[in-house]
Amino acid sequence: MKKRSFSLFLCSLLTGALLLSACTQPAAQPTEQNQQQPNQSEQNQQEQTKAGEKKELGYIKATDPSKVPDSAKQRTDTMVLGITDPQGIFNYWFYNTVYDRYVIEAVTERLLSVAKDATVIPGLAEKWEISDDGLTYTFHIDKRAKFSDGKPVTAEDVAFAYHVLLDPKYDGRSNLSKAKIKGEDAYKNGNATSLEGVKVIDPQTIQVQVEEANATTLLLLGTEIFVLPKHYYGKDFAKGNLEYIKSLHQKPMGSGPYILKEFIPGQEVRLVANENYWKGAPKVKNLIFKSTTAETQIQSLKTGATDFDASISVNADNVEALKELGFVDLDMLLNNGYGYIAINHKLPKFQDKRVRQALMYGLNREEVVYAYSQGYAEVIDVPQSKLSWGYPDESKLTKYSYDPEKAKQLLDEAGWKLESDGYRYKDGQKFTIQFSASTPNEVNDALIPIAVENYKELGIEFIAEQLEFNAVIDKRNKGEHEMAFLAVGLSTDPDPYGLFHSKGGSNKDAYSNPKVDELLEAGLKEFDQAKRKAIYQEAYEIINDDIPVLFMYQRYNLNTISSRLSGFVISPYKYFSESLNEVQIN
Amino acid sequence: MKQLLIRRLIQSIPTLIGASILVFLVFTLAPGDFVTQMSADANMTQERLDEIRALHGLDQPLYKQYLTWMGNLLTGNFGESVLHRQPVTSVINTFMWNSFLIAIIVLVLQWIIASIVGIMAALRQYSIYDSAVTLIVFMAMSFPSFFLGLLMLKFFAVDYQIFPLGGMRSTGSTLTGWADFWDVMKHLALPVIVLTLLNIGSLTRYFRTNMLEVIRQDYVRTARAKGLKERVVIFKHALRNALLPLITLFALEIPGLFSGAIITERIFNWPGIGRVVLDGIFQRDYPLLMGFTMLLVVLTIVANILADLMYGVADPRVRNR
Repeated sequence: MKKRSFSLFLCSLLTGALLLSACTQPAAQPTEQNQQQPNQSEQNQQEQTKAGEKKELGYIKATDPSKVPDSAKQRTDTMVLGITDPQGIFNYWFYNTVYDRYVIEAVTERLLSVAKDATVIPGLAEKWEISDDGLTYTFHIDKRAKFSDGKPVTAEDVAFAYHVLLDPKYDGRSNLSKAKIKGEDAYKNGNATSLEGVKVIDPQTIQVQVEEANATTLLLLGTEIFVLPKHYYGKDFAKGNLEYIKSLHQKPMGSGPYILKEFIPGQEVRLVANENYWKGAPKVKNLIFKSTTAETQIQSLKTGATDFDASISVNADNVEALKELGFVDLDMLLNNGYGYIAINHKLPKFQDKRVRQALMYGLNREEVVYAYSQGYAEVIDVPQSKLSWGYPDESKLTKYSYDPEKAKQLLDEAGWKLESDGYRYKDGQKFTIQFSASTPNEVNDALIPIAVENYKELGIEFIAEQLEFNAVIDKRNKGEHEMAFLAVGLSTDPDPYGLFHSKGGSNKDAYSNPKVDELLEAGLKEFDQAKRKAIYQEAYEIINDDIPVLFMYQRYNLNTISSRLSGFVISPYKYFSESLNEVQIN
Repeated sequence: MKQLLIRRLIQSIPTLIGASILVFLVFTLAPGDFVTQMSADANMTQERLDEIRALHGLDQPLYKQYLTWMGNLLTGNFGESVLHRQPVTSVINTFMWNSFLIAIIVLVLQWIIASIVGIMAALRQYSIYDSAVTLIVFMAMSFPSFFLGLLMLKFFAVDYQIFPLGGMRSTGSTLTGWADFWDVMKHLALPVIVLTLLNIGSLTRYFRTNMLEVIRQDYVRTARAKGLKERVVIFKHALRNALLPLITLFALEIPGLFSGAIITERIFNWPGIGRVVLDGIFQRDYPLLMGFTMLLVVLTIVANILADLMYGVADPRVRNR
């Protein structure tokens, strides 16, 4: 009898679940249908404004801070920040993911920092000098700077960082080789036991000599260098022996505002305030980074399990759900990077500039970007962040609004003639595009159906091949792709040498334009920001006309902050984790 | 018995070697490696990427890479996970037991419930009870796990906060001993319920089918004819025979105990190995993936041997063959 009642219980539970699923389904659907207007002309208007509509950027205050859940309020000396699961490499020299970086920035600090607008500001170094020839960099370490064990940060510690990053056995993602420090080759491949160009002048002063300098050298030597205590990490350190450093990934120590107490893999990272923090003890005593997943991020905020989340993806459903909570601030920022469609310039059909321009005019990018982001991304015509000082004057750029007629005309001029089967041919070759689509990918889901239709109208057959992400990258690295959608993250400096110079490390499309090469080289050699801006203005005007890649969008990023916290300083150039010492519980 | 064991162990050596080659090729021949991922960095250059590849031996010919890997494996060195920058064994050790905890509870629950429900259904074939069980079982089986999981979370963790919203322990918990155990149990409840509901279906059907088959055998009829009580007929004569084919099934579930449940772990934010391995696949953490897969290969082979041995214990006819 008991068993029967149990299965009856199960039965009712499941039928209940089924019924409910039937009820909840429509509500979960995108709101598109609800927006449909009965009146035809009104609907058209709606469609038009929708594609052009821009969502609000910036800081959106909570509407009802009183709704903060009680369970969160009870944590009077603890903040819980939700992030995607970190991997446990809490050392800037070796980390892989940005989630580890958040923890790293709570515990350790860099030699130089950047301000909200990307200008270089003091970090552990209070001031720095560059010699007239640009080849000698002198950093003066702040006398107050101390590690969490009370010992001062010294020039030896900075020298230690340079030596590890240029060690022959170093396999992390920092690339200090680009700074061209004097004596690198002798140290890396020869017998030298130290770097000739790195000199400790006194405990507070370090001098670095480089063989060749450019506008990014200061960033490479300063903002990219996290300083770790040599007396803690340096045991057994000799050239070629980084084993001891590697064994400390989960027990980091540094000069940052927090001290890592415990790392529970897959669950949370617990930190306590560094009471000796040299810029003043942080205001919140305990800090917990809690691993959250996309499935439950918003619910975690709702139930008060977290006070903040850095990993919620920006789309209309999520933003609406977050606004409904009422008690969270949304910090919406332009992401420092952009999405684009790579074109293989080795293929003769893409070598004609008019063809590339036609592909821009002929693709309804507004529609694609809206379908992907529901308005939380901006269509771009030049591959640079709109917030960078290097962003060119838009009035001098061509805006590639959807214009199929112009595209057809350009293709005609380029010699691609429309045949009776509806496709274009040149020298007996049909115009087809093999698109390598990484999957799963939200952008490709939005892009492919629109591109197939748009390009069909031009007389181009657009064939999408679904591949796993790594396979797409591999194909492109080998130069076997035709077209592929990709996104790129930009650095603090606007220099696009790596992407568009014919010798650029990330230029895998064989794009080459001698004039662009010349300008990008000049831009790197120039140290004056105003002069560099003028050079990049010219370079971007050419790039805008030349279409090395199909420019798509610059998307938004979102940090969600419970209104019980305040003090975060976040910008596209600076993660929230660099301002943790300023955060307080209201 | 001992002979059988030794023979089976020796037989499994070529299987292991074959499997190791296959595992190695499947992962290394997939396009891209973990260094490819770094190429997206704005500061990266091709020279630096090549340097990192060389440091990890990825520039060597495939057979050399295989021999190095295999050589290390034989000395118990699984290599270092490039994703976690830790020995593979320690990564597996950290996460696998969390997955195991859920899996073992689910396994026990599932077998107990399925045996009871399945056998009852068989004894009352075509009754309302039987049809109802069949219906429920098929419904439970056909639910996508993410849907059932999210639904459960919405009801029991968000609307009525009976259970916590994912994770393994309460955030910032400093509990120890029984209080800690109870905390983990509360976090376990939802994933265990979901996984049990999803898995119970097929097993119930096995029990039902096997029981139905056995009940029709002559020896059961003979037992009944002897005038034995129905209870004795069912549990002593029929059930024991019905269980025989299930031994194999049981043994083959052993590797599954360690492999983790990717979707369920994601939804319930459970720090299990399934999630870690999935990340490993996307980021091409070969040492981790190959080490983990080899572990599962070994477990599968051991489970197979175990199944054979258990079969021999349970059924004298097999033992003497």
